[in-house]
Amino acid sequence: MKALMCAAVLLPILSGAALPLFRFKKRLHREIYVETAVLLTSAVVLALLLRRPEGTLRIFRLTSTLEIALRLDGLAGVFAGLVAFLWPLASLYAFEYIKHEGGDDRFFACYTMTYGVTLGIAQSANLITLYLFYELLTLVTLPLVMHTGDRRSVRAGFKYLGYSIGGAACAFLGIMVLYACGDPALTFVYGGFISPDTPRRTLVLAAYLMTFFGFGVKAAVFPFHSWLPSAGVAPTPVTALLHAVAVVKAGAFAVMRVTFYCFGSAVLYGTWAQYAAMAFAAFTIVFGSSMALREQHLKRRLAYSTVSNLSYILFGVSLMTPAGLVGALSHMVYHGVMKITLFFCAGAIMYKTHREFVPELTGLGRYMPVTFTAFTVASAALVGIPLLPGFISKWNLATAALAEGGLFPVLGVAALLISAMLTAAYLFTPVVNAFFPPENRGRHGLEQAQDPNWLMKLPFFVLMAAMLALGVGSRGLLALLSRVAAGQL
Amino acid sequence: MKDYILLLPVLLPMLGAFAAYLVGRVSKTAKDYMADAAGLAEFILCATLLAYAASGRELSLAVPGICGRGIFFRLDGFRAIYAGIAALMWMCTTVFSREYLGHYRNRNRYYLFTLLTCGATVGVFLSNDFFTAFIFFEIMSFTSYVMVVQDEKPGAMRAGETYIAVAVIGGMVMLMGLFLLENRLGTLNFDELHAAVESMADLSPLYLPGALILFGFGAKAGMFPLHIWLPKAHPVAPAPASALLSGILTKAGIFGVLALSARVFLHDSVWGNAILALGTVTMVLGAVLAVFSVDLKRTLACSSMSQIGFILVGVGMQGLLGPHNSLAVWGTGLHMINHSMLKLVLFLCAGVVYMNLHKLDLNGIRGWGRNKPFLSACFLMGVLGITGVPLWNGYVSKTLLHESIVEYIELVAESGAPTGIYHVVEWLFLISGGLTAAYMTKLYVAVFVEKPDKSFEDHKPYMNRQSALVIGIPALLLPMMGLLPSGIMARAARLMESFMDPSLPWRDAGEQPIRWFSLTNLRGAAISLAIGAAVYLLFVRQVLMRRDGNGRKVYVNLWPKWLDLETLLYRPILQNALPFCGALMCRVLDNLTDWLVSLLNHTLLRRKPIPPRRDEDYAPGDYVPHVHRSYTLQRISGSVSFSLLLFGLGFCAAMGYLIVILLTK
Repeated sequence: MKALMCAAVLLPILSGAALPLFRFKKRLHREIYVETAVLLTSAVVLALLLRRPEGTLRIFRLTSTLEIALRLDGLAGVFAGLVAFLWPLASLYAFEYIKHEGGDDRFFACYTMTYGVTLGIAQSANLITLYLFYELLTLVTLPLVMHTGDRRSVRAGFKYLGYSIGGAACAFLGIMVLYACGDPALTFVYGGFISPDTPRRTLVLAAYLMTFFGFGVKAAVFPFHSWLPSAGVAPTPVTALLHAVAVVKAGAFAVMRVTFYCFGSAVLYGTWAQYAAMAFAAFTIVFGSSMALREQHLKRRLAYSTVSNLSYILFGVSLMTPAGLVGALSHMVYHGVMKITLFFCAGAIMYKTHREFVPELTGLGRYMPVTFTAFTVASAALVGIPLLPGFISKWNLATAALAEGGLFPVLGVAALLISAMLTAAYLFTPVVNAFFPPENRGRHGLEQAQDPNWLMKLPFFVLMAAMLALGVGSRGLLALLSRVAAGQL
Repeated sequence: MKDYILLLPVLLPMLGAFAAYLVGRVSKTAKDYMADAAGLAEFILCATLLAYAASGRELSLAVPGICGRGIFFRLDGFRAIYAGIAALMWMCTTVFSREYLGHYRNRNRYYLFTLLTCGATVGVFLSNDFFTAFIFFEIMSFTSYVMVVQDEKPGAMRAGETYIAVAVIGGMVMLMGLFLLENRLGTLNFDELHAAVESMADLSPLYLPGALILFGFGAKAGMFPLHIWLPKAHPVAPAPASALLSGILTKAGIFGVLALSARVFLHDSVWGNAILALGTVTMVLGAVLAVFSVDLKRTLACSSMSQIGFILVGVGMQGLLGPHNSLAVWGTGLHMINHSMLKLVLFLCAGVVYMNLHKLDLNGIRGWGRNKPFLSACFLMGVLGITGVPLWNGYVSKTLLHESIVEYIELVAESGAPTGIYHVVEWLFLISGGLTAAYMTKLYVAVFVEKPDKSFEDHKPYMNRQSALVIGIPALLLPMMGLLPSGIMARAARLMESFMDPSLPWRDAGEQPIRWFSLTNLRGAAISLAIGAAVYLLFVRQVLMRRDGNGRKVYVNLWPKWLDLETLLYRPILQNALPFCGALMCRVLDNLTDWLVSLLNHTLLRRKPIPPRRDEDYAPGDYVPHVHRSYTLQRISGSVSFSLLLFGLGFCAAMGYLIVILLTK
């Protein structure tokens, strides 16, 4: 069973790397190849989740203490499960979408390899393995961001590279402190491996902030957020899956690992480092939403919305309690499902009508009913309308924060709600415009607009069903997440 | 197991909504029947539940796990009555909609969202904790948005914008309040809240959450200063939807206020005073606006606001009177029922007018109802009911509310505290009642009494049988309720009181029966009606009507613009001031990091550009580049390998130095 963990990582990486060698002549053959690889990987992950292997798989040693090793604990399971659910759907969507972009071989090679790298991040058993995959993730996704190859995307790519490498370097300094003050093997342990009465407390706290912001770069925490909206120039499957789920959640996931499994909440709880992290997260929540409201480009608007929502997760983490972690994890899962739907809709609109700006969507609702229904449901979910998942995670985050008392958590809850109002403002405007166009506006030129074909529609239906299911009946999932957050899994 | 029947009134209309929608894609007629059937089934179900609850039995249901926390329902007298009224209203309006919306587009959408709203509203009334109430309240807010904007005209869109903005902001503020309340009390369940509050020595930490929750529910009820959406949204919606918005959705907000007053702030005088103040302002403001309005449905909408104010005054009195509040409790409950029924009749009558004339302003529809005795009679029932004329239903509840104020003044006087402010409240109450009479007379006279300017082209018949039935039966109920106050009203009030004040039922078992038509009670009504007559004759006829060019008196629009908080205060703040500051800040912060990098690039980390190789360097023939040499040098000295070379030299020098040092030691 343990070897399967390695297989889950290697299978997509190898099949992705091998993809250009096949020199597929027909598009269909390539699609079958990719989807098979992705589905196989997801099946492996599913098997792993159902019969979770105990213990650590050591791959090789770097130094006398450091080693590359994989382990699948509860936290890893949540992230891996989320990714494994979304990847096959996103691939289906990508097959259709990429027809307009070209460069299929390079695209799908990198796209599939990213899957493996993400699973590597999820299953890392220690910080150095995580760091390795984290850097790999930056490199393997870079060609995807630059895929279009025009000036804007190349610049966005460099920006992404600069921010990510810079962040990782910053985090690396923190890792050095962990190495020196804690465990030289850097193995993840629930509760952390730094003793609460460490003599070098200030250094440890400073190091925490460095890792928080370093890994936080990928989670787009203010002030290191601006790569994410720029990276929206990438093809939509990339923005949908990577910039709403895999890459950004990898950042949030790394922050969770560092907070709960390296430093440990016992060391950080109640310190200025915690409050600093919390304050930045809370600020980013409001800031991201305000920027989204200002932004008229649909994909960039959604990207700013992601900035805001990622900080919900970071805010939950920064509470440093199991309840906060439950909120963070639930929002990680729910936001993944909701945001990928929104991006898929934005992509479908761009693909069918070449419209990118919010005012241009006026009146489209009638012509693309499935797309816009999905968009509406996902918007309502993200705002936090009950019966849909966003509400539950918000509720969990807020109650966890209020259980803490004190000024910062209450301000954080206020930030959550202000952000929810802003979310309603920036997402319902396109919805209302699309379904209730002002008279005689935006009607012409829409006749050809229609819903995309089943490759794109199937993900919509699956995701809507997933949202409703998660919203109404997520009791089991929440019970699972609270066990994960308590370190019992 | 039988408790699970409580899910049915919520799920049935929702399933019916989707069924009607799917059927409607095939056949329009079948869809109409489907929607009617759903409304009828819902009514039968709720009536059965009401009969069950009337026998003193209760049901309660907990479904754990839904939406993360589980939902809790309970059926007691109050909820059964309100579920019943909701179902009745939905049934009547759904039947009426068929004729009213006959020529509309998007009817399928209308039915879908109306029935969804029905399920959600019943869900609010059945809920037994704030969490469940919140869930259904939010669903109701969003689905009813589609009812408001059904017409898709610019006015409707703008009203819808206001409506949804108030709904979203109200919902989020309420959510914050719920978080805080749960944090401080540890529960949101109605059954447990009271015990949790009792165990607290001091109520002051609860006022903030209470105010936030009140904000959310009050916004939906149309309470000042969150009433802004109400006079705009109710008139623009189709008439059956207006009846629902006015008659029942506002009551969902009142339900929340009542739950808060009865479970958290039971008999608390600070809370009572606050609600009383807000209620009084709402009551007076709504009535004043209604007098000025020259639009049939807008007058009715402002009237709704005013009546909500009456109800809130009653809620405030419940808190102030404490253990002596039975009059206030009864008055509040009965006025809620009365107002729902009255607005059903009045808005449907207005719908008939609009359906025929496609106009609502009083000058345009003037005299249309003259030769229509049935419609005129139905409308008159509503007018007499809402003005509180004895023998009609409004009289009963208004009298009770008035008596409760009088009772409180006596109580205060006994304790020796100054009573002046409550005398003012009493007079404002009577004056608002008078204004109610004035504006309703204005409507009735304009539509049904005055002679038309020109004869109308009448379609015969002006409404079909089903529509007549659903207007006629509720209109008939109004005087019945008023004629048999002890039979119908008192029994309803008995059923409702345990929800509105849990301590009431066992408190006043041996109390005297109320003498409905005693002289003191009639006096209040007489004062109100006298004020109403005076206002109508001296103000409405003299000031609000002017002679036009043809020498004929017309209604003029003197709608007080300065009372419009929305255009003067809310919209400028939300649409100009906040976005300006926000955008400025966002723009600066968004680029902060990039600007920092750019600044560093141009100062500390400035790279000297490597001069480009110029074409002249390769110029053939006689052209001699005169800067050739220095250029090459520059390029060498600027290259990476040159740097490495220098580094290597330095390294060697350092090593050499080290070796020398080591050797000499």
